[in-house]
Amino acid sequence: MAATAEITEALIRDNINRAVSDVFKTMLGRTPTFCSQGESLQGKALAPSDRPQVVGTVGFIGDCNGLIYLHLDLAFAKACTCHLLGMTDKELELAGDEVINDAIGELTNMTVGSFKNALCDAGYPCKLTIPSILRGTNFSIEPISSAVRHIYYFDCAEHRVIADILMKSDE
Amino acid sequence: MRYKVLTVDDSKTVRIIVKKAFKPFDCEIFEAANGVEGLAVAAKESPDLILLDVTMPVMDGVEMLTKLKSDPALKGIPVVMLTAEGGRDNVLKIAKIGVRDYLVKPFKEDVLIEKCSRVIDLKPMNEGPAKAKSILDPAELLIVEDKPAIVQQIQEGLKHTPWKIKGVSTQAEAADQMSKATPDLIMVSLSLPEEAAFTLFRLIRTNVKTKYTPVFALVVKTETQQQQQAQTVGFTAIITKPIDTLDLESKIAKAMNLDTSQRYYAIEGDMMVMRLPEHCSPAVIAEAGAYLKPKFAEAVDAGFNKVVIDVHQIKSLHMGIIKLLFQAMQTCRELAMQFVLVGNAQIISECKGFEDTRGWTFYDSLEEAKTNLSKAVGSPALAST
Repeated sequence: MAATAEITEALIRDNINRAVSDVFKTMLGRTPTFCSQGESLQGKALAPSDRPQVVGTVGFIGDCNGLIYLHLDLAFAKACTCHLLGMTDKELELAGDEVINDAIGELTNMTVGSFKNALCDAGYPCKLTIPSILRGTNFSIEPISSAVRHIYYFDCAEHRVIADILMKSDE
Repeated sequence: MRYKVLTVDDSKTVRIIVKKAFKPFDCEIFEAANGVEGLAVAAKESPDLILLDVTMPVMDGVEMLTKLKSDPALKGIPVVMLTAEGGRDNVLKIAKIGVRDYLVKPFKEDVLIEKCSRVIDLKPMNEGPAKAKSILDPAELLIVEDKPAIVQQIQEGLKHTPWKIKGVSTQAEAADQMSKATPDLIMVSLSLPEEAAFTLFRLIRTNVKTKYTPVFALVVKTETQQQQQAQTVGFTAIITKPIDTLDLESKIAKAMNLDTSQRYYAIEGDMMVMRLPEHCSPAVIAEAGAYLKPKFAEAVDAGFNKVVIDVHQIKSLHMGIIKLLFQAMQTCRELAMQFVLVGNAQIISECKGFEDTRGWTFYDSLEEAKTNLSKAVGSPALAST
């Protein structure tokens, strides 16, 4: 068993930065840049309201509990899906939204997996949940009061990727 | 033997990536979306390898692995975990149930293949006798030689071929080049410093992508000890310097299992042309002879029954050529094909000097032969013998 390290803001930031970088570099051949750390915008959409979003969600449960939403705009989600599956835009159009949902779900699963594996190694054993997908425009996420929220923005291939981390605080 | 690989993952994306990664190799991919389906497919297909995710609905990977290992009929199937579920404790716990390897997502397709190739002997899809590439198809050749003049000599000597020939001078450059694109054939100079040729050979043979790639050794004729060492370790062929590029070309074609019949046989218009090159070495005669009957039979089968036997490029006759020409004419008669000969003054004169070839009739040009053969009807053989 690893010695337990305190889950600080810096640890979370470093872990998510590493996770997003690893997944996007390895699976998509793209290098995201950590852009900024956002504030908890209660009741406000994180992404521009005019751009349709695909949001992957995966949770982790165990000694540490939380949920991560990975926001991608639809155009980037399509580009990522084409790259992952070796498909053309036309083939993706024929394949339908289900394929995009599955690809972004898996991309989120990998990102959250990387993030929470670092927590495991820091002394907080936990397991992943099954991914799910949200799609829409101009939606906001309201965390429960016992959750601590961390928002991180990344720039990747002229697109914005947002990691919205909700972690249940110890009480 | 065609290997069966079962990928068990609730993500269709991962299953597609796995199928894509294995596409260049001779194996069949089966899919399952959870542990229950995975066990059912494993029992039905007896796969040679299972790639298993952990987090899945219905039945997760740990439960499937536990059930698999407790089933006497299935417990021998090797399992490689392919999962986002990492962390030291998780990995150790799963490893104790019994897995051959563990790959944490995100993953590169190359790494997946590399790990799987340690469990099953993956062979490239185009390996084996069914390979149908021809001498007219493009191919990538890599020369690892620190003497630029040798690289240039080979490039010059093979410039008439459709092959793209890349020269590098060190083992590191070769490794870099091979990681970018898998060559169809590699030539390595045994004179590279510090036994680098043999180190590189081992690297080539342990890489799943190049383990069946033909590797030639380039060596000075008098370096017999190096040649023996190259033969012992398993180089595909030894090419001695100074290099005879005609011989090298034949060896490359043979090593790459290329169909070289187009060098000698072609359908032109409504007839087949059998053409012998200027230099008819024993290897050339043997190669042309091996294709003779099948190519003539193929022409008849496709509706062509006229043959021009063109030897006008040959400078001088020898017994091998004469035997091959007799064989060609005899085959024409057996298949009821009409044929004519095209020669040059030297060949015609030499034929007059032999008892057996004295009666052969030649046309002076291919065009003349084709025109006359097109007009001809009825007689199966126009040339007298």
